Amino acid sequence: MSLTKKDMVTLYTNLVRADHYGKMMYSRMMQGKLIGFYHPAEGAIAPGVGACSFLNNEDILFPHHRGHGITHMLSKGIDVSPYIAEHAGKATGCCRGRAAWHYAFPEHNVYGTTAYIGHNFVPVTGFGWAAKRNGTGQVVMNCFGDGAMGTGRAHEGLLLSSIWDLPIVHLCENNGFAIFAEASEMHPTEDMATVAQGLDIPSVLVDGQDVFAVAEAVNAAIDRARKGEGPTFVEAKTLRFKEHDIGNRDLRGWKPRSQEEYDEMAKRDPVNLATERVLADGVLTQNKIDKIHEEADKEVDAAVLFADESPIESPTEEELLADVYAPR
Amino acid sequence: MSIDYVMPKLAMAMNEGTVNEWLVSEGDHVEKGAIIASIETEKVAYDLEAPDTGFFHIVLPVGETVDCGTLIGQFADSEEELAELQKAASLSEAQPESAQATNEAVSTSPVAAPAPMRRPGGRIIASPLARKLANDRNLDLSFMNGTGPGGRIVKRDVLAAAETGAVRTQSPVGAAGRVEKARIPFRGTRKTIAERMTQSLQSTAQLSSFWESDITDLLAARQKFVAREDKLGTRVSVNAFLIKAIVYGIRRVPIANACLEGEEIVVFDNINVGFAVSMPGQSAFDSSLLVPVLHNIENLGLVEIDLRMKALVARVRDGNFTEDDLTGSTITLSTTAGIAPPGHRSTPVLNPPNAVLLGPSTPIEKPAVIDGEIVPRTLMPMSVTFDHRILDGDPAVRFMAAVHDCLENPELLMS
Amino acid sequence: MREMTFIHAIREAIQQEMRRDESVFVVGQDVRGGVYPHTLDLIDEFGPDRIVDTPIAETAMHGVAIGSALLGYRPIVDFMFASTALTAFTETAVMTGQQYFLHGSKHPAPLVMTGAWGIGKRTANDHAMPIHGFYARQPGLKVAMPSTPYDAKGLFTAAIRDNNPVMMPWCTGIMMLKGDVPEESYELPLDKAIVKREGTDVTVLANSEQLQFALKVAGKLDGEISVEVIDPISFAPIDMETILASLVKTNRLVVVDEDFESGGFAATVSARVVEQGFDLLDAPITRVTFPNMPIPGGYMEDYLRPNPKKIEAAIRAVCA
Repeated sequence: MSLTKKDMVTLYTNLVRADHYGKMMYSRMMQGKLIGFYHPAEGAIAPGVGACSFLNNEDILFPHHRGHGITHMLSKGIDVSPYIAEHAGKATGCCRGRAAWHYAFPEHNVYGTTAYIGHNFVPVTGFGWAAKRNGTGQVVMNCFGDGAMGTGRAHEGLLLSSIWDLPIVHLCENNGFAIFAEASEMHPTEDMATVAQGLDIPSVLVDGQDVFAVAEAVNAAIDRARKGEGPTFVEAKTLRFKEHDIGNRDLRGWKPRSQEEYDEMAKRDPVNLATERVLADGVLTQNKIDKIHEEADKEVDAAVLFADESPIESPTEEELLADVYAPR
Repeated sequence: MSIDYVMPKLAMAMNEGTVNEWLVSEGDHVEKGAIIASIETEKVAYDLEAPDTGFFHIVLPVGETVDCGTLIGQFADSEEELAELQKAASLSEAQPESAQATNEAVSTSPVAAPAPMRRPGGRIIASPLARKLANDRNLDLSFMNGTGPGGRIVKRDVLAAAETGAVRTQSPVGAAGRVEKARIPFRGTRKTIAERMTQSLQSTAQLSSFWESDITDLLAARQKFVAREDKLGTRVSVNAFLIKAIVYGIRRVPIANACLEGEEIVVFDNINVGFAVSMPGQSAFDSSLLVPVLHNIENLGLVEIDLRMKALVARVRDGNFTEDDLTGSTITLSTTAGIAPPGHRSTPVLNPPNAVLLGPSTPIEKPAVIDGEIVPRTLMPMSVTFDHRILDGDPAVRFMAAVHDCLENPELLMS
Repeated sequence: MREMTFIHAIREAIQQEMRRDESVFVVGQDVRGGVYPHTLDLIDEFGPDRIVDTPIAETAMHGVAIGSALLGYRPIVDFMFASTALTAFTETAVMTGQQYFLHGSKHPAPLVMTGAWGIGKRTANDHAMPIHGFYARQPGLKVAMPSTPYDAKGLFTAAIRDNNPVMMPWCTGIMMLKGDVPEESYELPLDKAIVKREGTDVTVLANSEQLQFALKVAGKLDGEISVEVIDPISFAPIDMETILASLVKTNRLVVVDEDFESGGFAATVSARVVEQGFDLLDAPITRVTFPNMPIPGGYMEDYLRPNPKKIEAAIRAVCA
């Protein structure tokens, strides 16, 4: 399915925004203003942008933990400043300061996450089942990395989505690493998609540094799902520019990654690639591109300000205990 | 308003960090995002970015390792503010954690003075330990002051009450207006004693006789033994003399040393003296009784008898006695001397199958007539019970007379 | 004697045991690269056959451990974060716990399970959650945790040598705690509590980071209240003997456990003390635990979890 010029502008804008947010989060972590961990998505933002920019609000999104879902959520049109506040432990955070670096935006059909890799497949199965039953054409965007493909949960989730023809797009953002271990060692084939194929799920490989290619592939998958044709496995081959989580060493297997590797990866910076493309195709002028970067900066600054100015709430133990159960 | 900059917590495992190098100087104006320090954690080295813009005041010196969250620097809005920060730093060397500490002070108010000792409904609130201690010492909790939380009676309260001694023992009100002091199980030794006593009274034809023996000379003789206590290895007791007197009496009237066994009266050649010993009971109120036996004393001297008797009593009191120690008596001595009132007489119950039991008691100073003169003498009351089935009054009183003779004339002990 | 951090003491135990016994190996995610220092660089000495990385697959990871243990190996399965073991609770707890006993007590399954936990590090519920309460309830497992570098080396050595499955999580709060650790190999009994500080007025049970807090409070109260601090060490089985012997002296008990209030170690030991030492108690047993709520991340962890303030308050209440 080819993209319109408008689509490409949307994608490019979201990509730039995601990039600015990502750099801001990295910076913020180094300034000691984030609580918990941060798993940077630098070099890996294209898949999330490509996959989520054309979702409806009614579609259910399970973002990848890399980048903490900011890329995916902003692309879906969600205001992520409550998340920035949440990650700073503030009362105005989307989870009232309780989730540390996790998030949930139920009003936008993002239902939260845990730290257990591969766990996304668990509720996603339920989202798919409900979406199918609702019969209104909802689609589930299930985002995860190559690491998750090792878990039993992944097998079970893929299995059920296949036998039940659930409206799920399984977006595998394959950057070749779990934490240190390489996908090439922990998976018998180069493509994660072979697992999905083995479960009779139609699969597609796409260049994860090319936001436009990802969007095309995913849009086709979304279409299939909306028509009731079942799940698709979209494997976006992407890169991880930095360490798994800030503060950890950046190893490949158990040896440090080389400068050559970083240099090679830099050549495939998704923002650069997209910029080249929009300029080449005449979709955007340099002026407009600069404007987009400016707006992104402003947006990020506003989110940061909101987070910084929000108070830290310290509810008492009693107040918290009263909140453990939902009202009957 | 200055802004604090703390050691950031990066990464899962970071607990502390060290500033290896400050890349700005004290007081420099710094832009947000500029790299201002090179730090090191347990694992990796980092370049730290300035989180804000301002005049930077360095707090943490190079090389010092601090926990995450510790102040490392401050950003001042103006040069005046910077100056203030710098001044404050030089003044506050040993700032105590005053405000923080008092805000976090834990409430330590001790419990108020004694609260009601009984809750509505009558339950006394006391700790398990306090209850046990009170029970062990027979103390009544309802008369104690509770100084634990909520007026609970705790160990220190029980100990304090025990010390004053003014606490009454437990007194539950029983039926018919009688207030109980204690309930003692009627079992074991108590029951055995009861059965034996009852059986003795019901199955024998026992009766008791009383007289007084003048033991003034005997006591004088005893003093000669007492004076040689160290040499003899024992402080010879009056009981030893009594036992020797019994031996004398039996020699004169052998049938006093007999038992009824089935269809035969057995008169014994050797003399095994049963010796009644009072023992502690199950409670503070009751007692128990054992009658250990001194075997084969007929040829023993006073000193030997005294030693053996004392050893036997000690064994019994320690619980180290054997079956043999309790069996084989041919005659029994049950003395209340020293405990009963002076001149006390009684009708002691026979110790079956013995034919005779002697029950001396506390001597009494009395006027006596000697050679027509009234003189003060020490008189020992003697109560003797005998089984009329085995011996009649004649041999019985002749036995008593022999014992009496020996007691009044201690030289006879040498016979 | 040399000083060493808690986490490096664990590493030394693993290293020395792996040198002593060929059958010992480590399996888990990224144990070669070493996300935490306790497996760092061991691959250089022992190679990838004995420092084994797996995909993210907790069930299969544990499968490697339980299967090889039954065939004579002595695995250490490292779940990285303790609560990820719960993904494979049936396998790690039920299956492993029942293996020896239900099959006639003939064939043991020697293995050690470990992972990091610790509230107060702002890592949110899943990375902070303690699991010793869950695992201590499972019959057939031994559960213990060290609180000092010296204990860490001794207990991990004992766990590796024990023929039973041992769950030995480690607390991130004391990861960098330094202490003297002997160079030679040594074991500490897995099932014995240790009196860490003698006292006469109150017995305080505390483990992991809470032990450090309890000792701090005991030091602060010195002269006012004489606090006996005992590290229970073992959560299954529980060393009641040492605890009761202490209560004979003090008659008061405070149980500190950085775990949820309900149904954990604190509850079990309290019930047993009431059963076995009722008459020793001059005050109610007081527990200092985490409230029954998912651990809210961020700043709330600090004041919700057991800390020196709460421990001191409990001690004072019990001694009132």
